[in-house]
Amino acid sequence: MLELYHSEPNTFFLKPLVALHEKQARFESRWFNAEQLDHFQLNTTRDIEAHLQLEREGPLLRHDDTVVTNSFFMIEYIAEALPGEPLLPEAPYDIYRAHASGQFLGAQLGSLVPILGCVKYLVPRLQAMDRGKLDARLASIAPQERRVSWQALLDGTYTPQILATAHERLKFPLARIEAQLASGPWLAGPRYSIADIDAFAMLRVIPDLAPDLVNESTTPRINEYLARIAARPAVQAALAMSRSGKPEQHFVPGVEPSRWG
Amino acid sequence: MTVHLYHWEPNANSGKPMLALAEKGVEFESHYIDLLKFDQHQPEYLKINPDGTIPAMVHGDRVLIESTPMMEYVDDAFEGPPLKPTDPKERWRMRWWMRFFDAYFGPSLSMIGWSVFVGPAVRQRPREELEAAIARIPLESRRIAWRKAMFNEFGEAELAESRRRVQFCTGVLENHLSRHAWIAGKTYSLGDVNGFNLGYALPLSQPDHCNDAKTPHIMEWLRRIYERPATRKIWALGRTAMAQRVKMLERTAHA
Repeated sequence: MLELYHSEPNTFFLKPLVALHEKQARFESRWFNAEQLDHFQLNTTRDIEAHLQLEREGPLLRHDDTVVTNSFFMIEYIAEALPGEPLLPEAPYDIYRAHASGQFLGAQLGSLVPILGCVKYLVPRLQAMDRGKLDARLASIAPQERRVSWQALLDGTYTPQILATAHERLKFPLARIEAQLASGPWLAGPRYSIADIDAFAMLRVIPDLAPDLVNESTTPRINEYLARIAARPAVQAALAMSRSGKPEQHFVPGVEPSRWG
Repeated sequence: MTVHLYHWEPNANSGKPMLALAEKGVEFESHYIDLLKFDQHQPEYLKINPDGTIPAMVHGDRVLIESTPMMEYVDDAFEGPPLKPTDPKERWRMRWWMRFFDAYFGPSLSMIGWSVFVGPAVRQRPREELEAAIARIPLESRRIAWRKAMFNEFGEAELAESRRRVQFCTGVLENHLSRHAWIAGKTYSLGDVNGFNLGYALPLSQPDHCNDAKTPHIMEWLRRIYERPATRKIWALGRTAMAQRVKMLERTAHA
């Protein structure tokens, strides 16, 4: 039995949906409305890996007796455990590149993109919610780090200055990706892999959130790369699972930024 | 093809590939980079790793600079006993826990370590020397960390939060090891190599939270890893008192 608990197919939730469609796997989709904090009402598991959620929010994949979390390790799990299209690089050094990319982009894009996306799209929706219901849902979030990430959206943490810093810090990972694509069409070796699924899911919203950073003239290789991946049938099938029709406008808080400053 | 490893003490990130290589039985040419002398920001080293972080591994024409992915490479690229479980579910668990160590437990523990050890070890040097050292650091995130350590700019609130997390993580780890023999499940893996590098000195640095009475499973797990020949061999390469802390895991010390 394979069940994926997910919200709108964007950022963290998009990754396993793409990987499962690439594998042509049969799975049950368990959609929840993350923007209403519905997932904190689900009684899926008491496992620490699901409770803590190192990315703070994200999908859950239940495979028989195990609940898999963390969007990058989840797509690696899908690649290793399910038959079908190979999604792992073959050579050890290319596998290293996939892991290093997942780790680097997970920390960089995984923390920065959700800040910009949440402030633009999620905050107005939270503010429109019934305050009593919202406060009750917030109070029900057990891990402190996850509760704080939602409260920060409502208490004015994201000042224009913080947003400007997040926008500025995006330049570093984007420049690295643009440079990497100069040496080959994919991020981890000669073929499309989990590294590309991982990068695509976070990159595809940046032209909307920070149009000055990803565009035809600043990042021509990233633009072409995004178009190439968006054309894949599995990606289209994953995006078609959206209930809103605009999955790229639905965000959840992401990875905690470095606590060192 | 010789493996060249650029590393500091067998501790935290440097110790991860050192121990993984030793477990696989792979000989490597050791290049000691003294973190406290800022060797990692010197031009010769920046030719190897322009980010100026340690460790780095060079294998033929390949350069690897991220310590956890580097360990997976060591396991994938060389013969020797496997350091990853064969079951994909256990592999996933191993990777989740390595991220827990690297991104959650580790940064809180290292913030405390940098405030009580790394900072004081370099702070007495002249201000202009320290500023020049910071100016040579390639990554913004590392410049921020070094500035905090050198000039003791840690806030009480962030140190308190780090202490809270270390205590919380220690409890989470104890609970996990009470249900599993090793981090991934039934077999010793890179998850244990990673966790040992993070936690071998916990009984000394966090004596109130990590000890035989409160965390018997962590203590037993650390001692079992310490007893492995590869661990003995790698920790013997330590040059400072920091690596010597591992000796408190000797069972005779508690007999």
